[in-house]
Amino acid sequence: MAEGSVIGQGTVVRGNVRGDGSLEIYGRVDGDVLVTGDVTLGDQASVRGDVTGARITIGGTVVGELRGSEAVILERTAQVTGDITAPRVGIEEGARARGALRTEEPAAQAAERGRAEQRRTVPRPLEMPRRAEAPAPRAVEPPPQRAVASAPPPQKRQPPAPVVPAFRGLQARKKKVRGR
Amino acid sequence: MAGTVIGPGLSIDGELTSEDEVVVQGTVRGTLTSSDAVSVGAGGVVEADIRAAALSVAGNVTGNVTANERVDIQAGGRLIGDVKAARLTIADGASFKGNVDMEV
Repeated sequence: MAEGSVIGQGTVVRGNVRGDGSLEIYGRVDGDVLVTGDVTLGDQASVRGDVTGARITIGGTVVGELRGSEAVILERTAQVTGDITAPRVGIEEGARARGALRTEEPAAQAAERGRAEQRRTVPRPLEMPRRAEAPAPRAVEPPPQRAVASAPPPQKRQPPAPVVPAFRGLQARKKKVRGR
Repeated sequence: MAGTVIGPGLSIDGELTSEDEVVVQGTVRGTLTSSDAVSVGAGGVVEADIRAAALSVAGNVTGNVTANERVDIQAGGRLIGDVKAARLTIADGASFKGNVDMEV
């Protein structure tokens, strides 16, 4: 009892729940859940927010992402709307899910362990790989920014440039005509 | 078993509403409402206004407290805030700072 936390059936939390240890939810949470231990969601429970934990077992309803550093298990009563990311994912018959499924470590936790590996395996640019690749993109990105930044001024300067000589040319021609 | 237990190491930022007993051994910031009893354990920290049927404080509470029945501040407990309750006990060794309204 001292180690784990329980959000009972008659309990509603509006806000974020985070911390160490395991968490059992039988009530409702409107907010993100982020714990270092296991998360268990009873079949009457619902979470509107992202759930992050070690081993996440869902029997209820979740609208939000599930990120398990060990596993995500959807029981037959589960209803999940959101992406699921975990090294191991189990979905029982009867469970409903909608979202992308990745059987790999969640990005944040993987990035802590080995950034180089994650850079190769994950096609989508995530936050941590970007930091790891920082030297390369920085070298590549600034030139286009300069090009974009320096492009408008010539366009603004260019129009007057031809106008003025042409105008002078006209004046010169007029003078020449008048002169003649 | 107790309806809701906020274990040590866990923290809630926001609004906690319950129809069951709530035991806080971790941290709650925001508001804490229960139609049953609320007890704040020795290591518990509550920075929130509390509304409950009964409140027992052995930890640290900062916020105004309204209890329908009673408030007990136990030895080692610390309560900073106004208390509105029909019954209030403050044990020897407890700390309390605030106003008391016992609906006299």
